[in-house]
Amino acid sequence: MIFHSFQESNIYSTGCVPCGHVGAPCSIVLVEKIRINNLWSLFVLICQRFGIAAYRKYSSSGSGYPNISLSTPLPGIPKPVFASVDGQEKYETKITTLENGLKIASQNKFGQFCTVGILINSGSRHEAKYPSGIAQFLEKLAFSSTAQYGSKDEILLTLEKHGGICDCQTSRDTTMYAVSAEVKGLDTVVSLLSDAVLQPRLLDEEIEMTKMAVRFELEDLNMRPDPEPLLTEMIHAAAYRGNTVGLPRFCPADNVDKLDKTVLHSYLRNYYRPERMVLAGVGIEHEQLVDSARKYLLDAKPVWGTSPAANVDLSVAQYTGGIVKMEKDMSDVSLGPTPIPELTHIMIGLESCSFLEDDFIPFAVLNMMMGGGGSFSAGGPGKGMFTRLYLNVLNRHHWMYNATSYHHSYEDSGLLCIHASADPRQVREMVEIITREFIQMGGSAGEMELERAKTQLKSMLMMNLESRPVIFEDVGRQVLSTGKRKLPHELCHLISSVTASDIKKVTTKMLRSKPAVAALGDLTELPSYEHIQAALSSKDGRLPRIYRLFR
Amino acid sequence: VLASQQCCYSGLGFVVDGFHLNIFSTFPFQPVLLSLRRGQASVSYAQSLLGAPETQLTALDNGLRVASEDTGHATCTVGLWIGAGSRYENERNNGTGFFLEHMAFKGTKKHTQTALEQQVESMGAHLSAYTSREHTAYYMKTLAKDLPKAVELLSEVVQSCSLNEAEIEQQRGVVLRELEEVESNLQEVCLDLLHATAYQGTPLGQSVMGPSSTARNLTRQDLVEYINIHYKAPRMVLAAAGGVNHEELVGLAKSHMSGVSFEYEGDVVPVLSPCRFTGSDIRMRDDALPLAHVAIAVEGASASSPDIVPLMVANAVIGSYDLTYGGGKVSNDGIVSLLHSSTPHLLAAWRFWDAVENFRVATNLFFPPLMQHLSSRLARIAVEDKLCHSFQAFSSSYSDTGLLGIYFVSDKHHIDDMMHWSQNAWMNLCTTVTESDVARGRNALKASLVGQLNGTTPICDEIGRHVLNYGRRVPLAEWNARIDAVTPSVLRDVCSKYIYDKCPAVVGVGPIEQLTDYNRIRSAMYWLRF
Repeated sequence: MIFHSFQESNIYSTGCVPCGHVGAPCSIVLVEKIRINNLWSLFVLICQRFGIAAYRKYSSSGSGYPNISLSTPLPGIPKPVFASVDGQEKYETKITTLENGLKIASQNKFGQFCTVGILINSGSRHEAKYPSGIAQFLEKLAFSSTAQYGSKDEILLTLEKHGGICDCQTSRDTTMYAVSAEVKGLDTVVSLLSDAVLQPRLLDEEIEMTKMAVRFELEDLNMRPDPEPLLTEMIHAAAYRGNTVGLPRFCPADNVDKLDKTVLHSYLRNYYRPERMVLAGVGIEHEQLVDSARKYLLDAKPVWGTSPAANVDLSVAQYTGGIVKMEKDMSDVSLGPTPIPELTHIMIGLESCSFLEDDFIPFAVLNMMMGGGGSFSAGGPGKGMFTRLYLNVLNRHHWMYNATSYHHSYEDSGLLCIHASADPRQVREMVEIITREFIQMGGSAGEMELERAKTQLKSMLMMNLESRPVIFEDVGRQVLSTGKRKLPHELCHLISSVTASDIKKVTTKMLRSKPAVAALGDLTELPSYEHIQAALSSKDGRLPRIYRLFR
Repeated sequence: VLASQQCCYSGLGFVVDGFHLNIFSTFPFQPVLLSLRRGQASVSYAQSLLGAPETQLTALDNGLRVASEDTGHATCTVGLWIGAGSRYENERNNGTGFFLEHMAFKGTKKHTQTALEQQVESMGAHLSAYTSREHTAYYMKTLAKDLPKAVELLSEVVQSCSLNEAEIEQQRGVVLRELEEVESNLQEVCLDLLHATAYQGTPLGQSVMGPSSTARNLTRQDLVEYINIHYKAPRMVLAAAGGVNHEELVGLAKSHMSGVSFEYEGDVVPVLSPCRFTGSDIRMRDDALPLAHVAIAVEGASASSPDIVPLMVANAVIGSYDLTYGGGKVSNDGIVSLLHSSTPHLLAAWRFWDAVENFRVATNLFFPPLMQHLSSRLARIAVEDKLCHSFQAFSSSYSDTGLLGIYFVSDKHHIDDMMHWSQNAWMNLCTTVTESDVARGRNALKASLVGQLNGTTPICDEIGRHVLNYGRRVPLAEWNARIDAVTPSVLRDVCSKYIYDKCPAVVGVGPIEQLTDYNRIRSAMYWLRF
C-alpha cells in the first residue's frame, strides 16, 4: 500500500507533507513523503495569488442563493398545508369496466406521485401451444420502441420529465407493465402504457438484444450462489409436470433462437386482449384514470390486428407430483474471495390450494408458522425466530444451512414447500428432518404459536402495504383474478378467525397429495422418490430403513 | 427482511416467483407546493390530500425530544435516535458503540433475551438497530396499536440493558466474524478507507466497527461507561411515523423516558473536536480480485450547511450507472448487483438486502436515485466506451464536515480513463454546467427525496436524523424551495468552492496498477482552459 499525504493548507506554502495516522486495516504502511522544491512551490504560490486558472472566484451572495443553514426554516415560504389523515381508511378501491372488457381499478392515496400500470392475464403458464420463453422475452422487450416512441431512450426521457420510471415484470400467470410518476403526468403515462403494451415495434435489433439478455440471465441463473429461483423452477416442473404453472418460467436455452416477431405476434394476438387486462392505479382520482383509459385504451388497435382469439389455453392446473433432479458441482459457487461451503439443496412440496379457495388463509397462516430462514441470517428479533423451522430445525441441527417455507398459490392450485440445504453427506438426514416437519404440521398447533403466526401474517401484510407500488400490485392482481378487491382489514379479519382445527384440516388434506421434490447439487445421498413418498405417508415421517451393507 | 425472504408477494398472497417487491421505486409523499405559490388562500380537499402530514415536535423537561408524523397507516415505526457513534470514540475504545448494538437485544434487567424476543415476535414486530459515525438508532416496526408496548421495550433496551458477562464473551466471536465478512464487501471497504485517509488522525477516520482488538478486549465496564457518557436525554430523539398520535407518544415518552439523565458526571460534556480533511490516498493493490474499486472525494459541506442542496443537485447531475441495469430496467436491484461482484455472501438474496440497507443507513451516505441517467454525460461516456461496470456520485455529511465523491467499479484496463472522465464531470460542474443539466438534476433530486420516504421506517429514520442534525424536520416544501433556487450559476459557484483546485482523497482497492498517480489526479482538479 502506498500512501501519499497532502495537507490541504500546507502543500503549497511549505512543500513538505505531514503524514497523519491512517486507520487502514493493513499491517504494512509505506509512507512516501513528497517533497516539492522551493521553486515550484513559489510558482504555485504565484498562480494562486494572481489567479491564472488555479484561482477562481466564487460567492454565495452574488448569485442569490439563500445562505441559511438547514437548521433554520427558510423565510418566505408559504406555510405548507399538511395533509390530515382523517378518512384515509375510507378510501375504497373503485372499479369500472369499459365497453371492450378492460377493467380499471384505482385506489386513492395522498402524495404527488402515483403508480399506474397494466396487468395482463398472461404468463409462462399460457405458453402450452407456443415455444416456452415468450413471457421472459416480452418482459425484456417491454418499453422498447413503439408506434409513438422511436426508442426506449425516448420513453425514458419522456418519463423523466415527470420524475417517472417504468418496469415490466412477468410471473407464471401475470404480466405487469407499470410506471411511477407525478400525478400531473397521468395522461402521458396512460398513453405511454397503451403504446408500450399494444403497439410495440419489436424491431429485429431489439429482438437480437433480447436474445442476448435472455442468454445472460440464464447463465446468471446457473451461476449465482443463491439457488432459490432455480429450485422454484424445478419444483414447479415436478409438481405440475408439463402443464400450466409447471411450464418453464425461464426460456429453455434451445428456444432462444426459435422466438421471433411472428411467434410473438401470434401469442400477443391471443392473450393481450382487453378482457384479459386491468389498468390499475394508486394515488390518483378514479375519474381521471377512466377518462385517460377511454382516450387511449378503448379504441386502441393493437399492432397485431384485431382478429378474434383462437387457441387460447384455458386448461386448469393439474397437480402431478414427482421429482426433478439436477446433479451439479456446487463445490465452488463463490463469486468473491471468501469461499462458500459446498451445499446440496432440496425442496419438498405438497399441493396446497388456490388463492380463490377459503383454505388459502389457513395455508398462509401455516406457511407463516413454519417460517424459517438461513442459519446465519442477520437481523434482530422479528425475523421469525420462534417459527417451527427455526425452533425445530435450525436451532437443533446446527449443520443445516437453511430451512425456509414457501407458499406459491395460483388461481387453480397451489404449492406449499420447504427449501433446505446442508452438506452433501447429510442429505438423507436433512430430507428426513423435513419430512418429519411435514408430518408434524398435521398435529395440533399450539395456541401461542398459532396466535403468533396470525399476528405476524397480519403485521407483514400491513407493513408491505405501506408502500404504494405494493398497493398497486395488490389492487391489480386481485381485480385481475377475482374482479374485485378484498380490503386489508377484511383479510385481517379472515386471518384472525383461523383456528387450530382449520390448520389441521388443511394439513390433513395436503398430506394426501403426492410429494413434489426438487434436488440440486451432489445427490449421491439423496433418498429415492418412493422413500420420500413413503415417509410423507407414514405416521412419524421417517424414511424407510435400509441396511447400508445390502444397498 | 422477513417479507422478502419468505413471501415474495404483495398483500396477502398472490404469489409470484422471483418477484421483488422493491422493484418499482416509489414516491409516496410530497407536499402541495405549486398551487400554493400562487398565493391561494384556501385549498380544496383534493389538494390538501397531496400534502404530507405535518411532523410534530415536543421536548420533555429532561431535554429529550419527541417527534412524529401521523400518516394514518395501520402500522408504525418508532425508535430512539441518539447523537452518539464512532466519532465519539477514541483509538482505545473504537468499536464500543458497534459492540453495544450487538448487546442491545440480549436481554434487559426486566426481560431475559428469550422473553424479549418472544414479546417482539408475538407482536409481529421487527426490532433493529444501527450505528453510524455520528448516530445510533434503536427502532421497532410494529402494528400501530402496539405503540405503547414498543416504546416500553425500546426504553428498556436503551436504559437498562443487562450487559450480561457471558453474553459479552459470546458476542466477541459474532463481532469478529462480522469484521471478517465486511472485508468481502469491497464497496464498504473502499468507503471506510476513504474516511481513514481523508480524516486521518481524527476520530472520523475510524471505522464504525472498530479494530478487532476492541472486540477481543472490551469489558463490561467499557460498555457501561459508554452508555453513561453518551446516552443522555438532550442527545436523544424519540421519533415515530405511521399511525401514531403525537399526544399519546409524548405521554408514553414521559412515563418511560423522563428518567433519562441529562447531567454529565463532573459536568464534563463531550464536545466533538473538528475533524481535519486531508487530501491523500490509500492504494490496496490486489491483482487477484476481478474488478477495481475506486473512490475519489473532496471535502463537502456539513449536514446543516445550505450548500448541501446545490451539492446534492451536483451529484444528481453526475448521476449513476450500472451495467446490469440492462435495457430500461430501473430497479433497486442496481445496488445489489453492484455489490454482487464483490460480495461472495451467501446463501440467499436477502442477505444482500440486509447488507445494503444497513450500509446505507449506517454510513449516512446519500446516493442519488438509482436511475439510469440517460442524459448524464458521464453515464453516456461510460456506456459508449465501456469504461466501468458501475459508478455513483455520493455524498456523506457530518455535523461539521462531509465527503463529496464519485465511486466506480471498473476492470483493470479502464481505471485511468474512468478517473479522467469522473474528474472531467466535476470540472464541467465548476465551469460549464448548463441550465438543462441543472433542471434535470433538480428533478431527479426531488423525485429521489420523496422516493426515499417509502414506508414508515424511512420516514421515521429521516425524522430522527433531521431532529439530531437540524433540531427540526425540514419539510419537503422547504427542500423543494431550496432545490428550485439552485441555478447553473449557483451550482458553478458552490461546486467551485468545494471541488475546484482542491486536494482530493483517493482510494483504490483491487487490480489498480493503472490507477492514476496522485499528482496527476491533483492536477486534474483544475483546468488551464475551458
